Amino acid sequence: MRARYRLPLYLLTLTVGAACVSAPADLAAQRAAGSAQQAPAQQTQKPAPPARGPTPPPPSVVAPPEPGTTTATKGAPAPPAVTPPSEKDGVLFAVIGDTGTGTQSQFDIGKQLATARSSFPFEFVIMVGDNIYGSERPQDFSQKFEKPYQTLLDAKVPFYAALGNHDDPTQRYYKPFNMNGERYYTYTKGSARFFVLDSNYMDQKQLKWLEDQLSRSNDRWKIAYFHHPLYSSGGRHGSEIDLRSQVEPLFIKYGVDVVFAGHEHFYERIKPQKGIYYFTEGGSAKIAKGDIKKSELTAAGFDADYSFMLTELGKEAMRFQVLSRGGKPVDSGMLPLMPDPKRPSTDDRTRSQ
Amino acid sequence: MRKLILSVVVPSVIVAFGVCASAQTRTSTAGQPASTAGQPTAATVPPQPRVNPTAEVMAAFRKRVDEYLKLRNEITKKIPEVKETGDPNKISAREKALGQAIAAARASAKPGDVFGRDATPLFMKILADDWRTRKPADRKAVFTELPKGTHININQPYPTTLPLLTVPGNLLASLPVLPDELEYRVVDRHLLLRDRDANLTIDVLFNALPRMEK
Repeated sequence: MRARYRLPLYLLTLTVGAACVSAPADLAAQRAAGSAQQAPAQQTQKPAPPARGPTPPPPSVVAPPEPGTTTATKGAPAPPAVTPPSEKDGVLFAVIGDTGTGTQSQFDIGKQLATARSSFPFEFVIMVGDNIYGSERPQDFSQKFEKPYQTLLDAKVPFYAALGNHDDPTQRYYKPFNMNGERYYTYTKGSARFFVLDSNYMDQKQLKWLEDQLSRSNDRWKIAYFHHPLYSSGGRHGSEIDLRSQVEPLFIKYGVDVVFAGHEHFYERIKPQKGIYYFTEGGSAKIAKGDIKKSELTAAGFDADYSFMLTELGKEAMRFQVLSRGGKPVDSGMLPLMPDPKRPSTDDRTRSQ
Repeated sequence: MRKLILSVVVPSVIVAFGVCASAQTRTSTAGQPASTAGQPTAATVPPQPRVNPTAEVMAAFRKRVDEYLKLRNEITKKIPEVKETGDPNKISAREKALGQAIAAARASAKPGDVFGRDATPLFMKILADDWRTRKPADRKAVFTELPKGTHININQPYPTTLPLLTVPGNLLASLPVLPDELEYRVVDRHLLLRDRDANLTIDVLFNALPRMEK
């Protein structure tokens, strides 16, 4: 069920610095290959169809600090080094995961998020699970969610939560998590549709629902998020093979573009798998230092300090930046939208909400 | 003589045949109404298909689950479902009230009441079959999140300070489907039936999972 990798940490440093983002042609080939065959994590090289739309600029990646070292600062963290959005009408959101500790680290990330919003005005925040650790008394919701993100909540920034394995499913009734009383749900923001899953309990009913919703989606961007990563280089948990065997074929079939997960207490960007971009951001309040066991999956990783992501879904590409608790850039880049003949153009896309 | 045969022996044979056939019909449709009105005559009744024992056991399990739901529905009439709220007090109060009411209504519940003695071997086989497909590291990973010796019992809330172990999707696909109100969970080697919104263990199949290899 879970793959485990035991490579030395220093290798991660080398790879992370040199990580690069696949071009759209490579991704198209991967997706084509992925729909024909499942499983192995290796990328498949096939002739790629021509990309639609303008050629995106070359990818860029910032080398993160060396894993195992810490950028944590005592006292007030420095303001985050945030790059403003590139496009006018992009969908801007933040990604946090494994947050609900109520500890100083969570408050620090909450503060950085609020500060980052002045330069990168994200509309909403997605939470990839483990929203409330430990007891779930009313005061826990205050200490482990409301207080750390008070500034954002006061600014009416909505949060959209997925359930983690530390979350009582009754969290779906907690209005500030915007789950509409459902363990799994979907919503749209601009040109993007988000599919939020309960990866703790992937029963047949949920799978059927997912396929139904994906098949109906005519949105330009299809984003899925849930707690357990399908691909991970984590030493403690690793890739969720069971879950992957169930949802990945649907992601490929219906053209999911990006997947976010948590569970692993670090940040990791996975090399595109079968045409899909994968991120793990489970280090927004807990950190498993040195837990990334660099593997062939790893494009970039950061397990030295707490982190959060800022994301922009543009017309032809997604831009992302990952910042540490200390406000330092950890990873960033631009991921071109996959060529997909079924994808609506920027003109005919449906907008809602 | 011929008249005698026609008037006495033939009717007797017909009557005797009819009695036997009727008995045969009752035997092959045990539990069904004995009426044969409008049915084919005994001579044309096809052999009844054998009942799949697994299906029969699963049907009985579903029936017990339905009985639980019936009881639960009665209780939820008095403790209405919580709507989305920003007040976590309301959510936890409802969860607690529902759990307590169900536990009180099932005060005499014993392990296996819902899983059923008849279905226990089947559940254990499903778990064992799934277990065999997993590598030792994967098996171990199922338990990494929970401390050893976690105490679980019927009519007790699942400890809120502990994570809920993720039930592997492929295992879930093999287990009988449950209604939304219920879910399977694994703690140590035990398989639980948990009421999701009441956070209540409603049944336990102790030591249902095979032992971990050392």
